[in-house]
Amino acid sequence: MTGSGPRAVSRRGLLAGGALAAGGALGATVAVTAVGSDNPATRPAEMTPVGELGLAVESFHGTRQAGVATEPQAHAAFVALALRPETDREALGRMLRLLSDDAARLTQGRPALADTEPELGLLPARLTVTFGFGPGLYQAANLDGRRPPSVAALPAFRIDRLSPRWSDGDLLLQICADDPLTVAHAQRVLVKDSRPFATVAWVQQGFRRAAGAEPGRTQRNLFGQLDGTANPKPGAPLETAVWVPDGPAWLRDSTTLVVRRISMNLETWDLLGRADRELSVGRRLDTGAPLTGTDEHDEPDFDALGSGGLTVIPDFSHLTRSHVTEDRLRILRRPYNYDGVPSADGTADSGLIFASYQADITRQFLPIQRRLAERDLLNEWTTPIGSAVFAIPPGCPEGGWIGQQLLG
Amino acid sequence: MRTNTRPRPAGFLAAVLAAAALLLVPASPAAAHNSLKTTTPAKNAELDTAPTEITLEFLQRLDPAFTTIVLSDAAEQKVPTGEPVVTGAKGTISIDGTLPNGTYTVAYRVVSADGHPVQGSYAFAVADPAGTEAPAPTPAESSPTAEPATAPTEPGSASPVAATDNDGGGGGLGAPAVMGGGILVLLVAGGLVLLLRRRRSTT
Repeated sequence: MTGSGPRAVSRRGLLAGGALAAGGALGATVAVTAVGSDNPATRPAEMTPVGELGLAVESFHGTRQAGVATEPQAHAAFVALALRPETDREALGRMLRLLSDDAARLTQGRPALADTEPELGLLPARLTVTFGFGPGLYQAANLDGRRPPSVAALPAFRIDRLSPRWSDGDLLLQICADDPLTVAHAQRVLVKDSRPFATVAWVQQGFRRAAGAEPGRTQRNLFGQLDGTANPKPGAPLETAVWVPDGPAWLRDSTTLVVRRISMNLETWDLLGRADRELSVGRRLDTGAPLTGTDEHDEPDFDALGSGGLTVIPDFSHLTRSHVTEDRLRILRRPYNYDGVPSADGTADSGLIFASYQADITRQFLPIQRRLAERDLLNEWTTPIGSAVFAIPPGCPEGGWIGQQLLG
Repeated sequence: MRTNTRPRPAGFLAAVLAAAALLLVPASPAAAHNSLKTTTPAKNAELDTAPTEITLEFLQRLDPAFTTIVLSDAAEQKVPTGEPVVTGAKGTISIDGTLPNGTYTVAYRVVSADGHPVQGSYAFAVADPAGTEAPAPTPAESSPTAEPATAPTEPGSASPVAATDNDGGGGGLGAPAVMGGGILVLLVAGGLVLLLRRRRSTT
């Protein structure tokens, strides 16, 4: 069996990777990882050579935070902190200076200050640390007037079975990287440095396909569905959907994040035939194409009639209920899968860490969520068990810290 | 399995095995699924008077949010009706105008208590001696006994979705399909043996 393993890793690729990574410039890739395909035409053209995956860098400083429009990394930890009662505006400033410094170093492949495991800080693997401010942070800072109005607890939905175990939180640290050890170390450093100011409310760890396994493809969830097809495209559509274009310094270039833990009932989903699954989603499982199309990104035709005059795409399908056409109404989904330990009888604990970015939760997320809660057949197999909302404040320049426009 | 973007032996084998598995796993929990019990007008009825409404009664309660009933004429044009009114296990649509003579198809899409979608269709005909003839449809299929394009679901038979063009094999499989599946499995097994032998001899 010679066909399935990675091919020889070229030495030149590894060396080039080391040399290039310092600057984060990974343009000139020497393709090395042919994944079991003998046909060059079917091989993804741009794959990051093995040695470069660990050294790849996403910038931390900038007008906007990384980890939003960033091509999703393979692993993520969403860490929600609850501020201690004594953490006020001034203490928040100290905390965020500290955590911003940790993030600035670790994301660039440098150990944090007084890092107790400095070797673990050397492979950033596209590490990003994205800070989110929950409603409680604005209260703690006595700055509720600066809270984006849509950053507030979501209304209750009939489908919700929310647990405090996965809900709310004052400060979110979204830690993403293509290497799980890098995520674990960053989480350890950041949580440790948060201790004087906050306690851990919840942590959700998730994953996608390994880096390079399926470059440029929409991720699949554990139901086997492509997840995120309707995302706004990079460029103007994403700008419109995600970023706040104006306003005071603490709002401009900010966005908002909704994190929901969606339990997926694999036991009952497994009883559903393939055709029924596709009817409930409105898309084909293999290509992700709408039932009226052939390609994942084909525009669905909700009026197309099939046998006997029924619409080809059922009106209760997830696709029908979640569909929006205007960019200003779209949400940027950046979800991760979770897969807990099965119970003794084998019942899966699987689901999705739904994460969506949008300029305004009320304008974009809520209408979609209301339509889904009202009449999405997929609700039969999915249950929201956690929910939290955060403002994602603007980024910071070198020497600055996240939150300085709000708290400084 | 229709698109395997990376044609390679392992992928092919997986696809074949998956296809075999799909055929082997029976669409069995049919007993738990909703299905059509009785209809008014009845299936294949030939009516002297045009009906003013259509009532479908199912085995299980209907959820109004997930109940669709549509009426089409022989030219496959939708006939104007009201939205389904759901009472318990019954769904009723009222017909806006008076149906001209001709063949009609009633199609429904409902959801079982366990969430499984169920859809199907059946035909009836109006032949009112005093009634108007429907304009002849382009595909000449106006005979009152014409079957609709898809196999109608027998009232009382609990068959989940099999009516759309989804060919994934999720819906109710009849005995011929199961037998065909058995044959396919044998073929696949034979193919595997051959393939494995071949690989062994080439490596």
